[in-house]
Amino acid sequence: MTLNLCVLTPNRIVWDSKVKEIILSTNSGQIGILPNHAPIATAVDIGILRIRLNDQWLTMALMGGFARIGNNEITVLVNDAEKGSDIEPQEAQQTLEIAEANLRKAEGKRQIIEANLALRRARTRVEAINVTS
Amino acid sequence: MSCSNLTMWVSSKPSLSDSSLLSFRSSLNPFQLPSHNSPTASPSKSVIQCGLRELRERIDSVKNTQKITEAMKLVAAAKVRRAQEAVVNGRPFSETLVEVLYNINEQLQTDDIDVPLTKVRPVKKVALVVVTGDRGLCGGFNNAIIKKAESRIAELKDLGLDYTVISVGKKGNSYFLRRPYIPVDKFLEGGSLPTAKEAQTIADDVFSLFVSEEVDKVELLYTKFVSLVKADPVIHTLLPLSPKGEICDVNGKCVDAAEDEFFRLTTREGKLTVERDVIRTQTVEFSPILQFEQDPVQILDALLPLYLNSQILRALQESLASELAARMSAMSNATDNAVELKKNLSMVYNRQRQAKITGEILEIVAGADALV
Repeated sequence: MTLNLCVLTPNRIVWDSKVKEIILSTNSGQIGILPNHAPIATAVDIGILRIRLNDQWLTMALMGGFARIGNNEITVLVNDAEKGSDIEPQEAQQTLEIAEANLRKAEGKRQIIEANLALRRARTRVEAINVTS
Repeated sequence: MSCSNLTMWVSSKPSLSDSSLLSFRSSLNPFQLPSHNSPTASPSKSVIQCGLRELRERIDSVKNTQKITEAMKLVAAAKVRRAQEAVVNGRPFSETLVEVLYNINEQLQTDDIDVPLTKVRPVKKVALVVVTGDRGLCGGFNNAIIKKAESRIAELKDLGLDYTVISVGKKGNSYFLRRPYIPVDKFLEGGSLPTAKEAQTIADDVFSLFVSEEVDKVELLYTKFVSLVKADPVIHTLLPLSPKGEICDVNGKCVDAAEDEFFRLTTREGKLTVERDVIRTQTVEFSPILQFEQDPVQILDALLPLYLNSQILRALQESLASELAARMSAMSNATDNAVELKKNLSMVYNRQRQAKITGEILEIVAGADALV
């Protein structure tokens, strides 16, 4: 009884292989998915995706999208995805600081929305590193 | 000297026949000697009026130009292949996306959904996203798309509609910067290889323009890659999206997004050729007990921006592939012309050299005769 996970971005396939379990951040909170999950469709928030391979946990930063689960197949469509191990910790931390500063400076509705989005993306990336370590 | 205007002779125009090429150009040559203004028996040879040294310099410079154009052609060919790889890599995503969108839409058909991206409003203002290249030397590629944009702008003006332009690519930017009477919302630069990030920037801009009701329709003007020698500038309506995931052109003719096309560059008998596949994504039946974790509206909200991004990315990729293909054929023509010019020049050079030698021998013989 295996679960197949497929993470797709517009550029490439980030992940396509069997997993034991995943924890997905959806718009309505985190959900864990084990084999034989009921078929659901859900919007994926900007957040981390945790993947269990045997006894090892992997983390991935997802930048918002959509997921479909059914028939032991998980398809995750996202704008961008990065494996936690591929993210440069210092660079991510810096981006987070810049994003925080930008949010404080932001004026007007459109700017605040954009700064908020950037901040959430940056925070997710930092989170993805910290979970792995 | 007369050799200085030579580089413009190695043009990217398709080469004309030998004699007409040279004689036509000779009439434009401002440095022609006055004694040769009457057409002689062999016009193709007499027009090149240079000393031996100048001829040699000219041949060298043509040789250099030929090397450059040849290298540019090869580089473009290699890049076309990379561009094609990018399209192939993006396929699983767009296929799955179309499939999911189609299925969800089937299930939502009965519901009354209201998603901002699909809302059709009476059109007052139109945003045109014009995708051009970053560099020149690619034949009529940039001109063709800019001309298309101009004609669309004129059409919109005739209809009494307001418009704004979002320019992508350096060539388009400089064109619109020189024409301040065309309102431009944003200048963006395309990268060497379009990625999701660039598409995202455009999508964000388009999205905020449309959702804030500043514009009521967004059209995407890009060059569709047909084959290595053919590329069509086309107009696609980007927004409002039809919830079914269809793309409509200006005439309202709809192309089903499930009919996915992509091009493949192959080498057949040592020559580069293009195969274009049309693949119908088969729509796998969703299990009917599929539950929506959130409101269907929320799910569509998450899906449609993804769809918008992938549409824009596709357009950027096609545009890049067309640009490279155009550059390839332009440079190949330029190389052909350079080869021909070189051939003619060396012929003239050899004749002049021979004439000089003959003259010298005659002089020596005459001198020897006089001594006897």
